[in-house]
Amino acid sequence: MESITQERPVEPEPVQSEPTPDISPAPIPKTGGLMEWFTHWSIERRVLAGFGLVFAGIVVIAAISYRNTSVLIENSRLDTKSHELVQLLGSVGQALDAAESGHRRYLVTGDESYLRPYRNLAEQMPEYLRFLRGLTSEDPEQQTRVGTLERLIARQLGAEAEAITQREKHGYQAVRHLALSGAAKTELEGIQRLMMELESAEQRSLTLRVTQSAGSTRNTIALLGLGAVMQFFLLAFVYILIHHDVTERRRVAMELQTRGELLQAANKELEAFSYSVSHDLRAPLRHIDGYAALLSKSAGEALNDKARRYLQTISDSAKQMGQLIDDLLVFSRMGRQDMLRTTVNLDQLVTTVLHDLRLDLQGRTISWTIQPLPNVLGDPAMLRQVFMNLISNAVKFTATRTKAEITVGATNRSVSEAEIFVRDNGVGFDMQYVNKLFGVFQRLHRNDEFEGTGIGLANVRRIIHRHGGKTWAEGVPDQGATFYFSLPLARAPR
Amino acid sequence: MTTVKPILLAEDNPRDAELALAAMEEHHIADKVVVCRDGAEVLDYLYCRGIFSSRQEGNPVVVFLDLKMPKINGLEVLRTIKNDVNLKPIPVVMLTSSREEDDLAQSYALGANAYVVKPVEFHQFITAVKELGVFWGVINEPPPEGS
Repeated sequence: MESITQERPVEPEPVQSEPTPDISPAPIPKTGGLMEWFTHWSIERRVLAGFGLVFAGIVVIAAISYRNTSVLIENSRLDTKSHELVQLLGSVGQALDAAESGHRRYLVTGDESYLRPYRNLAEQMPEYLRFLRGLTSEDPEQQTRVGTLERLIARQLGAEAEAITQREKHGYQAVRHLALSGAAKTELEGIQRLMMELESAEQRSLTLRVTQSAGSTRNTIALLGLGAVMQFFLLAFVYILIHHDVTERRRVAMELQTRGELLQAANKELEAFSYSVSHDLRAPLRHIDGYAALLSKSAGEALNDKARRYLQTISDSAKQMGQLIDDLLVFSRMGRQDMLRTTVNLDQLVTTVLHDLRLDLQGRTISWTIQPLPNVLGDPAMLRQVFMNLISNAVKFTATRTKAEITVGATNRSVSEAEIFVRDNGVGFDMQYVNKLFGVFQRLHRNDEFEGTGIGLANVRRIIHRHGGKTWAEGVPDQGATFYFSLPLARAPR
Repeated sequence: MTTVKPILLAEDNPRDAELALAAMEEHHIADKVVVCRDGAEVLDYLYCRGIFSSRQEGNPVVVFLDLKMPKINGLEVLRTIKNDVNLKPIPVVMLTSSREEDDLAQSYALGANAYVVKPVEFHQFITAVKELGVFWGVINEPPPEGS
């Protein structure tokens, strides 16, 4: 069979010269322990890791950008507040100035109308202070200053109110010295200094924030740029991985197709071959046997016993070879034949096999033990062949026993598979030859001991393998043998 | 019956033919057998042409047809016979070494009346051929001529 496929002129196949296709590890040069570790990963894991890194990168960039933008927004809010504060400080300063100069004029002239700015200020001061406190609420230092300012202004207003009372009661002379220097000179100076401090402090924090905002913006832009580059490389890496995998898969698929076609061609040839074997090899055998029979018939009287034995041997050999050819054809067909997959009732199967064997059982005393067998998934005709071979073997190899015992049963060692055995108390075999048992044309007994072509168990193994099962055997010389095989169980009908 | 209708044996292998004749001799039906050595000869015989142009008219009682023959193989001969109105009634028995399912299926699909695999063992072969010859040549009633 091998020679046939090789003889065939085959067109150049680049795929065949290559070793078996390796799909998973990409040929990445080893650059260290990490790389080596990475190459052991499956493609799925690598792609997942790549996408994971991209995703993590996106999350980190988004988080940092969010934080930076929040700072910017916060700073711009604080800036607005600062500008309002500076503006308010200006207004307060003007109001204070107006009130103070109006107050002095009143002290000199006694004209009530000059007191209007002072009264306005006194009236509006709580409002001003409330605003000031609000605008500096987030800066404790500024708050302290506002507190001091409040106290100073209260004292100034108090001193000025005192001066107004003196002027009303005792006239200009009582407040003359105050009219020149101002009723609350020290307080006013303090107030002005404080207000300048407030403003310059606010300006300082404004500048600080501007620097901070600029830095934060720069950071964000840099981060986004760097992130984009990193994402690009990561995605490119993932793309290369996927691309490599896809081309590899495509190549393997094509190779499989080519091999499938070659296999189909080889199979066709094998069929033609076995057809020739079946037809052409049989004819000469028939002739050998036929002419030997004709010869013994026409010259039978003239032949001596020796010559008749020779003729008989010729005839027997021809028959044996015919049997070998038939068995070999069955074996070859078993490998190619389409297989059914149905639920097979093994109890029934064994019953029919025993019925078919009844002629071989004539004149034999056999004690049969047939245990209940499970339903399996498989091809009924092929499985029938399996039981036929195993049971007829058991019958054959117990021929020398006066009381033969044959058991057909199932072990319950596995839940997913049926494990069937055929046990006999026949001649058995030496376990050192167990590996030869299931080989084609392998025999453990001489032909004059037990007849056979050495195909039966090979056929059993081939059929069970095609069903996805296993075959094995145990034996003790002169005590018996047990042949096991496993088959997929049929699902219990619901 | 005035004329004995012949048995037509299509067999390219002279040894197989001789063995078959030897088998039929035991039942004295060998003299009824006409042996053709290939498919073309079979058709020549059936259509009374070539070397058979001067033969006595009439169809054989049965045709034993080997599958693998030179020139025209058994299946082609079978197709020709079963597609011809005059030849169609002739019983055709495939007598072959092949057990291949394809051959069986095709033969029956083309209208073969029986399919016999030549046994390797001579005694079985002889028995088979003898029984075939006796059944189709003696026991079986052939179709009426000109039907």
